[in-house]
Amino acid sequence: MSPLQICLLLSSLLFCIGLVGVLSRGSAILVLLGVELMLNAANINFIAFWRYGPNPDAGTGIVFVLFSIAAAAAEAAVGFALVIAVYRHQRNIRLQEANRLKG
Amino acid sequence: MSTPYGELLIALRPEICLVGGALAVLAVDLPKNSRSAQARLHLSVALGLLALATAYAWNLSAGVPGPLFGGVLTLDMLGQATRAGVLGLAVLTLGITAGTSRLRHPAELVAMILLATAGFTLMAVAQQLLLAFLALESASLSLYVLAGFDKTRPESAEAGLKYFLFGGVSAAFLLFGFSLIYGLTGSIELPVISAQLALTGPSPLLVVALVMILVGFGYKAAAAPFHLWAPDVYEGAPAPSAALIASASKLAGLALFVRLLWPGLGAASGNLSGAAGWLPVVAMISGASILLGNFAALAQRNVRRLLAYSAIAHAGALLLGVIAAGLIGPGALYYYALTYGLATVGAFGVIAVVERSGRCQDITDLAGLRARSPLLAGCLFVFVLSLAGIPPLAGFVGKFVVFTGALQMGGIASPAGWLAVLAIALSAVALYYYLVILKQALVVAPAKGAAPIKVPAPAALALLGAAALIVLFGVWPSLLLGLFQ
Repeated sequence: MSPLQICLLLSSLLFCIGLVGVLSRGSAILVLLGVELMLNAANINFIAFWRYGPNPDAGTGIVFVLFSIAAAAAEAAVGFALVIAVYRHQRNIRLQEANRLKG
Repeated sequence: MSTPYGELLIALRPEICLVGGALAVLAVDLPKNSRSAQARLHLSVALGLLALATAYAWNLSAGVPGPLFGGVLTLDMLGQATRAGVLGLAVLTLGITAGTSRLRHPAELVAMILLATAGFTLMAVAQQLLLAFLALESASLSLYVLAGFDKTRPESAEAGLKYFLFGGVSAAFLLFGFSLIYGLTGSIELPVISAQLALTGPSPLLVVALVMILVGFGYKAAAAPFHLWAPDVYEGAPAPSAALIASASKLAGLALFVRLLWPGLGAASGNLSGAAGWLPVVAMISGASILLGNFAALAQRNVRRLLAYSAIAHAGALLLGVIAAGLIGPGALYYYALTYGLATVGAFGVIAVVERSGRCQDITDLAGLRARSPLLAGCLFVFVLSLAGIPPLAGFVGKFVVFTGALQMGGIASPAGWLAVLAIALSAVALYYYLVILKQALVVAPAKGAAPIKVPAPAALALLGAAALIVLFGVWPSLLLGLFQ
């Protein structure tokens, strides 16, 4: 198996683990962790395609990853702020109990 | 080769202006001052309006059309018109905010609205996957904060968190799809991607990438089956935030979507009679949204949730516009999205004003609006009928141009034609739930002890402006459609 295929397998696996985490966890923070795993799986893809692609001199993939890491960090900051906002009202962060809105 | 930074600076003046405006609003409000919350709100909104107006003026003189800065962004009619539309919708949102908001941090609210708008305007001109992703993220992050802005109400925090979690997952799907596209074509610029895809043809990996991108955008457009966040967010978020999420965000998202799909991934579109590609998937999402949105809206008692399900149904029609854009260009889609945004901002504006003097969640809370405030009832009449698509209002023309575009694609006996017929048939169903709102507002007597509602001047101006624009675009559609001829 070529290194590119190994990288892609790893990233697909990470993406799936993240998605399962998002869908199965009840705590908002663990769901957030799942989302981060999924984002990082995409980052591994970019790095792998850049490194083993036809023109690694262009640097497109690595620049994309730098920006997307920054975006993921901003997303985590906003996410934790919202988790705290929910915590202030219901004194826990279990998503099963965040069910005021329905209809 | 020298990098044309000067050109970039000129093209991005609207965004610079919006971000500068947001910082100025925060800076003016920063020193400890003794002004009342009301005065601070009005000052912030005035500064915000100034920033939006300057951005609008600079957008009109944005320089030569065409790709800029090595093709990172492009100034074309779709981009310029979407920028203008987004700025206009943000002005209306600020007008509603000035009239109705009692939130504790007015400057931060206005600054977040401006930052979200900067994200939308960038989405409108992005022609490269990196810029598209960053613009989408910066707009979305501001919207998550806006949805959870009312810290005193648990519903608002919950709406913000739900919006964030759905949004985060869809952003991850989108990024993964983008990474596969990059791997397949070796580029992140739409014109190069398009040329490469035409060369290499379809592959299994491309199908995975397309599905992931469609999941990301389906969420953004609140299309079924990725719509679950919409009713909760529309119900829990403060009314001005909900207005922005429902209008400007949709317009910018669809502009980006149609640019990505047709000029970028057009070679992988497949066709509606069975060839693999994104067209059949978009058609399925569109049909599901039209069906689910219209039928679920019938069961709603909460007026905000009703608007959310109507938004899902409209998302289906808008996706039909995306399909038709390959044949008739993005003009019809733009017209539909903008006029839909105007009507939704207006409807949420009316809800915001009613909320000042009590609850406005159930449809029955609107009872007797005609007696309590003729102005609000009149504006609501225009907005709701435009959403329902009654001539001569803009909603009718929007539906007309999108559906005729879809019918042109292969006549009535083709998948696009069936979708158009389905959408037209379900418009009749939609008329029922829209008339339920109007019946409460115009026919039913007010509840005992319901006082007349005083409409604050900025909100009245914004509502009248939105209603006037809907009528104007309805009787003179070539004002907008002519731009794309």
